[in-house]
Amino acid sequence: MDLGISALNYVNGIRNGEFTVEEFVSKSLERISQVDKKLHAFLRVNDLAIKKAKEIDTKIKSNQDVGKCFGMPVSVKDNMCIEGSKTTCASKVLENFIAPYTSTVITKLDSEDAIIIGKTNLDEFAMGLSTEFSAYGPSRNPWNTDYVPGGSSGGSGVSVSANECIASLGSDTGGSIRNPASFCSVVGLKPTYGLVSRYGLVSYANSIEQIGPMTKTVKDSAFLLNIISGIDSNDNTTIDNKNQDYLNDIDVGISGKKIGIVSEMTNSDGLSADVLNATNESVKTFEKLGANCEQISLQMVPYTVAAYYTITSTEAGSNLARFDNIRYGYDFDSAGFEFNSYISQARSKLGPEVIRRMILGGFVPSAGHAGKYFLKALKVKSKLIAEINHVFEKFDFLISPTVPIQPFKFGEKIQDPVSFMMIDFNTVTANLTGIPAISVPYKITNGLPIGIQIMANRLEERSLLQAAYALEKTVNLPEVPSL
Amino acid sequence: MENLVSEEEISEVAKLMKIQLEDHSDHITRVQKMLEYFDILDSANVESEEITVQETDLDKLRNDKYNPYGKSLLKFLKNYQGKYVKAPKLN
Repeated sequence: MDLGISALNYVNGIRNGEFTVEEFVSKSLERISQVDKKLHAFLRVNDLAIKKAKEIDTKIKSNQDVGKCFGMPVSVKDNMCIEGSKTTCASKVLENFIAPYTSTVITKLDSEDAIIIGKTNLDEFAMGLSTEFSAYGPSRNPWNTDYVPGGSSGGSGVSVSANECIASLGSDTGGSIRNPASFCSVVGLKPTYGLVSRYGLVSYANSIEQIGPMTKTVKDSAFLLNIISGIDSNDNTTIDNKNQDYLNDIDVGISGKKIGIVSEMTNSDGLSADVLNATNESVKTFEKLGANCEQISLQMVPYTVAAYYTITSTEAGSNLARFDNIRYGYDFDSAGFEFNSYISQARSKLGPEVIRRMILGGFVPSAGHAGKYFLKALKVKSKLIAEINHVFEKFDFLISPTVPIQPFKFGEKIQDPVSFMMIDFNTVTANLTGIPAISVPYKITNGLPIGIQIMANRLEERSLLQAAYALEKTVNLPEVPSL
Repeated sequence: MENLVSEEEISEVAKLMKIQLEDHSDHITRVQKMLEYFDILDSANVESEEITVQETDLDKLRNDKYNPYGKSLLKFLKNYQGKYVKAPKLN
């Protein structure tokens, strides 16, 4: 049995009776137990997966209605709640937190008979880009386990890349789906802000973050987006997409489309030569497919990393206030403590990056500093949105490398906070402006993956997926190495 | 280096955020470096820019009515006694 098949091929396999749900899920669990000691993609595996698989097999055999997913094993980043089970956000503070309700995306997957095979690793509270900030230890890149898998949805990227499951859900605040997708050679889509409900996602920076699919193919991302998107009365920021079918016409091609190559993202200081070469090759590929590519400039891009960290730290400082061990927390008796010192003491379980972001989040919007940092960051965001609106009057898509560099070794980048932040350089624009962006696996160089990022205007996921599919069809990448 | 935000200012903010800085120096140095990088915002030339906000029409929001949850959330609280949430004393 090939565990590396796409979601659509899985569905066909079940429909044609090539294998049962139980067989596939058992093999996936076997694979997890074989490789995950090395990869650490999962924080927990669902003990009830086989039981659920048997139930779906019974429904199939007795010709009952079965959801579109036909029991496919899907992993979920451990910052999305499932009622009655742990959601840790890879933090020691939430080590024993049992979610009292289920996030909308999980409810939707469940109603289509997906099996949540486990919860995946992330940087603590999704703050990071390598999983090195997970309180439970990092995940490892299946292409070379000495290298980071990207983050913060690193466990999700690894789980799909290493064929431990069919697909995964990640969340993307500044590139947290696209970065690990690029580093692990899987497809990762950050949808338009509001297209997917965030109800049940533990908030980090709620004005810009989105849940999205991480999959083996572009079609699989369209398939999952069909399921998870749409308006939700529990999330007032959601948009009614009129049940749009993102798979429909995905193969129409991109002939005659106009593509802007974002010059700031293809000329930046930190851009590696190999990544630039791959990007230039992808431009030639797009041109061969009939698209017109030209360089464009977004003048605000050089300021986006600073604006992004200012805005997200501010929101994180506010969102994380609830982790005071009174509302959320762990067993730690308050007897004998004064109010403030109890909270400070309880928060000492937060990891170093979360602590730094909270300090920044207290500093940048504070009286006396807001004008220099937070308000200026919001102005950069506004001007960037205006630039993006203007550019999409003329262009259909924007492209760039997803990440300026390839995966790096553990510990290699973490020491310098500024160069670490700059790894987000190409991804934060889509979050600050709310537009959709996708990372498509494009090349393996020196044994490590490179992804290409395509961005489109708000709610243009259909055409975005068409462009991504056109690019994907031109590449033939090697299989992930055996572990 | 004279432009760096001072250690005292950062320590004060940490205190206000109810964060105890155990590995004091490393955190402060890293936060200082990040703030120093944020100075790049000064050259963005956006002073005259309007801050735009996302607007949602009221009729698009869900009805403003009480929605009973139907399940007991109180059992999830760690420090719940009788009818009260137990919290540390305020001085």
